Amino acid sequence: MKGYVLRIGAFAALLAIGAVSATVRANYFARAAENQPAAISITIDNFSFTPKEITVSKGTKVTWINHDDVPHTVVSTDKKFKSNALDTDDKFSFTFSDSGAYRYFCSVHPVMTGKVIVR
Amino acid sequence: MKGFLGTPAGFSADVNLVLQIAMGIALLAGALLARSKRYSAHGACMAAVLLLNLVMIVLVMWPSFHELVLPRIPARLARQYYAVATLHGALGAATELFGLYILLVAGTEAVPQRWRFRRWKLWMRVELAIWWVVLLSGIGTYFLWYGAPHLPL
Repeated sequence: MKGYVLRIGAFAALLAIGAVSATVRANYFARAAENQPAAISITIDNFSFTPKEITVSKGTKVTWINHDDVPHTVVSTDKKFKSNALDTDDKFSFTFSDSGAYRYFCSVHPVMTGKVIVR
Repeated sequence: MKGFLGTPAGFSADVNLVLQIAMGIALLAGALLARSKRYSAHGACMAAVLLLNLVMIVLVMWPSFHELVLPRIPARLARQYYAVATLHGALGAATELFGLYILLVAGTEAVPQRWRFRRWKLWMRVELAIWWVVLLSGIGTYFLWYGAPHLPL
């Protein structure tokens, strides 16, 4: 009987340890994800930015990828950021550390415009 | 600044295209002035076109070439987008320089005697013909860059 109780106790202890460890791990990764700045991609396709407008949190790194067969640029209207000419599959990234609305366009094809809202 | 010709091109590219076509026509008119022996008007017309083209090269075409084409050549010359622009740029630069040389020979005493050509009509006609070839290649470049985005370039 004593051995049976011990086995039950050990099993319960193992379950408790497993549960606590799973909770700690889940909390750890959740916190890590919160602290890690998010990364967002905007594609350039068929002479347009997609999505045309996005809302991100502060510290987010936004990457533009040109999938067109002609070069494009990414230029902020208030001169906060400016890429070189991006050829096919070239990328440009910018990390938004301040909140606000950032309008941008392609200087080669000014009809192409987009907006990043940082909260 | 957005263009006004209904393509994705910017304002400066559209202005440049319109001015280049106008300049090509002005050169033909200038040639007719020489035929009718109005040489002063001919000289003024040709000089104005050459200098205006020089301004457009400095303000519009060279910056665009420098930003979009120069970093990619010779590596990507096999692509139409770069090949046509490079050909147009090289031929256009040579034509502008030759035009300026003709202007200096015909309109000034700045060029030493031994560097002056004598067959005026021949070289001026050659310049006019090449100018139009460059103009047509420029129109082709514009439509390749801005007018036909759906084509695989």
